[in-house]
Amino acid sequence: MNRFEYIRPRSVAEAVAAAAIPGSAYLAAGTNLLDLMKIGVARPGRLIDLNHLPGLDAIETLPGGAVRIGAQVRNAELAHDPEFARRFPAVAEALLSGASAQLRNAATVGGNLMQRTRCAWFQDTASACNRREPGTGCDALGGENRMHAVLGWSEHCIATHPSDFCVPLVALDAVVEIEGAGGRRDIPLADFHLLPGTTPERESVLAPGELVIAVRLPAEAAGFAAHARYAKLRERTSYAFAVVSAAAGLRIANGRIVEARLALGGVAAKPWRAEAAEASLAGAAPDADAFRRAAEIAMAEAKPSGDNAFKIELARRIAIRALTQAAAGTPDRLPALPASSFASNAGAPNMGGLHV
Amino acid sequence: MILTVNGADTRCDVAPGARLSAVLRDTLCLTGTKVGCDAGDCGACTVLLDGAQVCACLVPAAQAEGHAIRTVESLAADPLGAALQAAFLHHGAAQCGICTPGMLMAAMALLARDTTPSEAAARAAIGGVLCRCTGYTKIVDAIRDAHRFHNAPPSEEGGVGARLPRLDGVAKIAGLDRFGADEAPPGALWLRPVRSPHAHARFELGDTAALAARGIRLLTARDVPGANSFGIYPDIKDQPVFCDGYVRYRGDCIGALLGPRAAVEAVRFAELPIAWTPLPPVDMAAARLPGAPVLHLFRPDNVLSTGRLACARDAPEEAHVAEGLFETGFVEHAYIEPEAGHAERIGDTISVFACTQAPYMDREEVARVLGIAQDEVRIIPSACGGGFGGKLDVSIQPMIAVAAWITGKPVRAVWTRGESMASSTKRHPARIRARAACAADGRLVRFEFEGDFDTGAYASWGPTVAGRVPVHACGPYRVPHVSAVARAIYTTNPPSGAFRGFGVPQAAIAQEALYDALADRCGMDRLEFRALNALRAGDTTATGQTIAHSAGLPACLDALRPHWAALRAEAAAFNATPGPIRRGTGIACMWYGIGNTGMSNPSTMRITLAPDGTLTFFNGAVDIGQGSTTVLTQIAAEALGLPPAAFTLVLGDTTLTADAGKTSASRQTFVSGRAAQDAAIALRAAILRLTNAGEGARLSLEDGVLRIDGAPVPIPETLEGVGRFDPPTVPLDAEGQGIPYATYGFAAQIASLDVDTQLGTVTLRRIVAAHDVGRAVNPTLVEGQIHGGIAQGIGLALMEEYLPGRTENLHDYLIPTAGDVPPIDIILIEEPEPLGPFGAKGIGEPALVPTAPAILSAIHDATGARLHRVPALPHRVLEAMR
Ligand SMILES: Cc1cc2nc3c(=O)[nH]c(=O)nc-3n(C[C@H](O)[C@H](O)[C@H](O)COP(=O)(O)OP(=O)(O)OC[C@H]3O[C@@H](n4cnc5c(N)ncnc54)[C@H](O)[C@@H]3O)c2cc1C
Ligand code: SF4
Ligand code: FES
Ligand code: FES
Repeated sequence: MNRFEYIRPRSVAEAVAAAAIPGSAYLAAGTNLLDLMKIGVARPGRLIDLNHLPGLDAIETLPGGAVRIGAQVRNAELAHDPEFARRFPAVAEALLSGASAQLRNAATVGGNLMQRTRCAWFQDTASACNRREPGTGCDALGGENRMHAVLGWSEHCIATHPSDFCVPLVALDAVVEIEGAGGRRDIPLADFHLLPGTTPERESVLAPGELVIAVRLPAEAAGFAAHARYAKLRERTSYAFAVVSAAAGLRIANGRIVEARLALGGVAAKPWRAEAAEASLAGAAPDADAFRRAAEIAMAEAKPSGDNAFKIELARRIAIRALTQAAAGTPDRLPALPASSFASNAGAPNMGGLHV
Repeated sequence: MILTVNGADTRCDVAPGARLSAVLRDTLCLTGTKVGCDAGDCGACTVLLDGAQVCACLVPAAQAEGHAIRTVESLAADPLGAALQAAFLHHGAAQCGICTPGMLMAAMALLARDTTPSEAAARAAIGGVLCRCTGYTKIVDAIRDAHRFHNAPPSEEGGVGARLPRLDGVAKIAGLDRFGADEAPPGALWLRPVRSPHAHARFELGDTAALAARGIRLLTARDVPGANSFGIYPDIKDQPVFCDGYVRYRGDCIGALLGPRAAVEAVRFAELPIAWTPLPPVDMAAARLPGAPVLHLFRPDNVLSTGRLACARDAPEEAHVAEGLFETGFVEHAYIEPEAGHAERIGDTISVFACTQAPYMDREEVARVLGIAQDEVRIIPSACGGGFGGKLDVSIQPMIAVAAWITGKPVRAVWTRGESMASSTKRHPARIRARAACAADGRLVRFEFEGDFDTGAYASWGPTVAGRVPVHACGPYRVPHVSAVARAIYTTNPPSGAFRGFGVPQAAIAQEALYDALADRCGMDRLEFRALNALRAGDTTATGQTIAHSAGLPACLDALRPHWAALRAEAAAFNATPGPIRRGTGIACMWYGIGNTGMSNPSTMRITLAPDGTLTFFNGAVDIGQGSTTVLTQIAAEALGLPPAAFTLVLGDTTLTADAGKTSASRQTFVSGRAAQDAAIALRAAILRLTNAGEGARLSLEDGVLRIDGAPVPIPETLEGVGRFDPPTVPLDAEGQGIPYATYGFAAQIASLDVDTQLGTVTLRRIVAAHDVGRAVNPTLVEGQIHGGIAQGIGLALMEEYLPGRTENLHDYLIPTAGDVPPIDIILIEEPEPLGPFGAKGIGEPALVPTAPAILSAIHDATGARLHRVPALPHRVLEAMR
């Protein structure tokens, strides 16, 4: 690891000022950044530790019912917050389906949004990668790339964003609060991550030095609580990134879908909101035909970026699964393996308190 | 900064961004916290931060300041911690022990809230800690049972057949076992290999002055004082310590940086003066084409080795035929301890401390590369954090020995996870074409097998695989016509070597799938088809060997029959209701020859009794977690007539103990066990001669006083018993005829599972395993081997696939977690092997072989899909269902 300066600012303003110097990076829990520094993908000259900033670790309900989650709130803390889990069950389910207990106890909300892709070539400094080093090419194209994107990719980069948490968030119209040298601004999460286009090195709308300080969920997002699920297909029962995943939320009245939300994970460089599919569900009966049709619409633009054509059908199926489960109603307590396609017969859970 | 570790405030002078794991280990010398990946993937580094489990490898030290840090070293003083440790010991929850500290800490976080957790809660709590040895079952049992071990009395004693807790277990649960990375001589230089990023390339090294200016030396091929080559086979030393201008796989070592640790670690690969000329990679198909690049001059056709077997005896008429092409990929050993150790030159001798399964082979290799005599080399095996065949080959030993030898300074190396995975040997990928035929009544008539095994860049154990596979290809059945060919082919892939089963697990996938198909074709139950054809005592195998004793497959199948019927009925009832989840039940059998194929593989054991009453067992067998230290002591104790606790153990150290051979081929219990038994018998005879006591005399040894039938007897001089055993075999001839092994292990397993037919995921419900082990010297340890083997079989069947350059870490390369291993029922069959110690055979490898084929059989039963390629990842299952 390289030598670097370590700074522990005491206020958000101080942090943002410190980050103005090129070569700086924010350090949240470090579960992604320390790893990237070890393998030489990230080489910051200055680390700005966010851990002592006041006000970034709170979960607040705002007047009107919106919830504001500080960037430094830990994944486990948020998922096990009873009020939050009750109002936004699919978000809690997505959080608990990610990584392991150890990592969830440490990893933060801001870090989860900002985590880098898991593309193997991105992580291997001996390979060509436009995202890591613009203009060098993309070794993933034509490589063993079955985990790569099927939506929104370009010839310059076919990587996916690995977050589970962001998938229900984007479905529920989350807004990212950003603080920078020029002040504070809000950006819808749907517009926060960028598709690769010709500049895959630009992963989000954050300008250099800008800081995520919170994520907000509007009050309306809690309206889906009775029918909200996250479904994640992975290659072992737990502790694995999604091959594909889906978050679904339904408002159902009189046997009809009043409003639907659907987003997909593991398919693109950003959490993928499927608005046209949502529109197709409005007014429909919550049945297999409607869900299949919505899934077709969600993936209409999809095309394989390599040997991953199978992902298109898998993404449809995970969307159908999430919608079907959501229609059946949110369970009172989370299943033993949250969001897992393996959980079909798992015994009754006893997940216990915060720090499993 | 000030860190609060285990209740004490300690001032540490470390960089704020340093990993907590490194601070604990390197600065505070608390090496109980282990490091398996440095990336959050394995959980070996799990510690508690304010009571919550975290990966210490991803915690910046500065962020731990002001929080209570707890490590494994704190457990013994805490009643709950001590109870958990006692439960781990009792249940045999630690095998190699490298994951144990992390497991204990993860469990502590749970037990602090809930002292009697449910099984689901226990599995969830350890879901982020990987164990490659135990299959998690005994760990979950220990966690749930910990509350019973408050102030528990120390464990019971026991000879053969007893559940004696492992003798090396206390150090493992305390975090005190010394693994390769846990110690180093003061002032040791740090060695970091430089590896090829290309599968196949030429290279030139440029000017190293810039490195030298930073105090770093680049060791290269020119620095190797002896022969720059090593390899398992005496006549095939084809792997260079440092490549000389040409690399044959991604991960091939071209040199090593040597210097102060910080300087060496700061060097970026791109800064190294290497000019590469990449060449086209060569896979199995390309290697066999006319005009293919010749990877090793002594094998112009790129075929390293070919094994054959042909036999034809009287047979009934063929009625049904099944055939198919089956493919498996690279499988990584994924031991949780990456290669590590240190070397020191002492005058004209060298001493190497490193993790290994084969210290005597290491000694030969090190002597050879240094150009010195073998008795000038001392190998001290560290505790071995998992091997499974992968630590039979030398890894760091030659390079750290070369570095220490030429500089005269102590040298240390610890490989990163990525480096370990990129460079170490793998399970051979196989491409198998097979055809099986049976008579109308189900009796097997013919089995034809042609398998190509990708042996990668270097020979390693390739010839062993080519030799072992044809013998086992037709499975543990009576087959009158067998023809089998197995080829090990050089490619520019990672070297394939020894991995639990030496090619037999791959062959079993083909063989068992075809037998399932034949059973279906003759309308027979799959279990009964196997029972009809099973080898029995008195039968002659395809190599012409008559198995006189200990052929327990029929007994295994008998034991499984009621489980089979019950699980099949359960599945039928479940499937009666339509739905996306389909339930299936599968079965598979296996046999496994214990010891090396058709060649001598002796072991020597020695036991002494000194005049002061010290009873010393000199045991050169390396315990890589499988439990040989305990099992061999139990055997010696039983044969000698004294309790295991009476022994002082001197374990594998090439200057002190005799050669016990390798810890491989499931041979230590059978071969070294018999040697230990003979040594004990000889010593007992010497003791009895002191008073001319009769055979049945009762011995005791307390406070240094030997008693024979109660009467104290002085010991005039050191008495000794030496046992040597070499299993009787007859080398195989050109047609594969002979007696390849003195005895065989047999097993049959049932898998019950659910397939999600929409998503392609497979959820295991239960495995029932019946194993003929001859005699279970220590049932707890045998069960542990079976659980661990089954977990690896699950990985092979469902998730593990190593892709060079793509999966060199433990989040892209997935191994089973606690949630992936279902309840396992074990039935031990004991058909005694007269040659073995108290009838025992081996279990290390047999446990793994039937699991994957049983799972594939169950997937077929559930869905009608026959997978011809493993792992059965969701998209492959869906594709096979189409
Ligand atoms: C083994 C493993 C398995 C995992 N599995 C999953 C999974 O299944 N699903 C999943 O969703 N995630 C998974 N993760 C990812 C994990 O969730 C992320 O590592 C974590 O969320 C990052 O959070 P952190 O606080 O540690 O961020 P850090 O590592 O500290 O930071 C990550 C990045 O975000 C930047 N950053 C952090 N906070 C801010 C901020 N407030 N404003 C601006 N930039 C910021 C940092 O500069 C850095 O570039 C896994 C990680 C590991 C190691
Ligand atoms: S897919 Fe993107 S991240 Fe991966 S190698 Fe290509 S450019 Fe880099
Ligand atoms: S060493 Fe920390 S998770 Fe593997
Ligand atoms: S005992 Fe768990 S990895 Fe060896």
